[in-house]
Amino acid sequence: MRPARHDLHLLSGVYVLDAIDSDIERDRFERHLGRCHTCIAEVRGLREVTTRMAMAAALQPPPALHGRVLAAVRRTRQLPPVADTKPRRGPWRERLAQRSGWFPRLALAAAAAGVAAAVVLGVILAGTQHQLSNAQAENRAIARVLAAPDARVLAQSTAAGGTAVVVVSSAERALIVTTAGLRPLPASKVYEAWLINPKRTRPAGLLPAPQGGRTRPLLATGLMPGDELGLTVEPAGGTAKPTTTPILVLPLST
Amino acid sequence: MMVMDPRDIHEARPEAAPEKGGEQNLDGLLALVARGDEPAFEAVYARLAGAAYGLIRKVVRDPAQSEEVAQEVLLEVWRTASRFDPAKGSAATWVLTIAHRRAIDRVRSVTATAARDQMAAEPVPASDEVAEAVEASLDRERVRHCLDGLTELQRESITLAYYGGYSYRQVAALLGATLSSIKTRIRDGLIRMRDCLGVSG
Repeated sequence: MRPARHDLHLLSGVYVLDAIDSDIERDRFERHLGRCHTCIAEVRGLREVTTRMAMAAALQPPPALHGRVLAAVRRTRQLPPVADTKPRRGPWRERLAQRSGWFPRLALAAAAAGVAAAVVLGVILAGTQHQLSNAQAENRAIARVLAAPDARVLAQSTAAGGTAVVVVSSAERALIVTTAGLRPLPASKVYEAWLINPKRTRPAGLLPAPQGGRTRPLLATGLMPGDELGLTVEPAGGTAKPTTTPILVLPLST
Repeated sequence: MMVMDPRDIHEARPEAAPEKGGEQNLDGLLALVARGDEPAFEAVYARLAGAAYGLIRKVVRDPAQSEEVAQEVLLEVWRTASRFDPAKGSAATWVLTIAHRRAIDRVRSVTATAARDQMAAEPVPASDEVAEAVEASLDRERVRHCLDGLTELQRESITLAYYGGYSYRQVAALLGATLSSIKTRIRDGLIRMRDCLGVSG
């Protein structure tokens, strides 16, 4: 449902604070800005407020910064001016595309594992972002798995429809399980994850209730060489041993 | 092309360190930077690096990461100076908007979030230490005065979002308020700040 135009207008404040974390919402507001002159004026004025707030936060930068920046300037070519004939992509998008660190590496891995992986990774990102205040320890563990140099993305369809996408790191001895499009279960049932091993099969946690057809990341730890990931349907609350035929068995070792 | 803007009168703050003869306004300096003028870039650095670094530090917290982000931002100012359009806002706003967005990018990536959470668990440096050698005491006084004029919810929402780098959804969750109330409070509060600070759009 699209918000009324009046509601869009109210986004000017959170927009200038860069506090909109949904690309869709931000794009919508930026499109609205293109049509609304009073909004442009308002955003300009409010941005000057943020400038004052930034000035008020000024600190002496570390002395070494100056030399490093100037050295970088001397070896960096500048962008030529644009002949601005068509609307440019928002800077936010450009930055997302340029973002460095683990994201591109992971996105590459995701591309290799298929579109489903990218979709589910989106859920991981959104999910970890929105849970700052709770489950921080688990988020940190998830972040460690995602950032692990040996992290691999695996995707496989399940016998209950949909796809399971797994990010696994042997170094962290952990994996993250997300799913999309699994057949919904009645409240009396749950999807349970297992680490299956000829020596010992261990319960690895219950998939959270799906939101919009997707389940939020489940972190499973204590990974051992030769483990396979299994998913079964169990009574709500889970069981200690699998009682039904797995809807998914996914080898995790390289 | 140099465009003089009446707002620069506000920006030529009396407390700003006097620069060598013929002080340029920032908009004009950026126009020179766009043409590859390194001394002009150094002048921009002298005027804005402190605000950029201080702002990034507030959002990112970790000094080493903050310095990294500040370096990226200042290099981006050099690289993209030709994209600065004085018709859309002042030069200081352009630079500090880039700084804030880059800082937000940094904290909204999952790994950085984890690092920041760890930082948050460590003792926060004493404010005196953080506040060392600040050039912007007058700005600080004015901003503090105007923040004090807001309702508590307005003030908390604005500082959590801008200095804390939280999205308004996160602010709503932190303050136990609805999304629409946070949206409204932030906008109302910023409008009040604008009037209190006497800035023109």
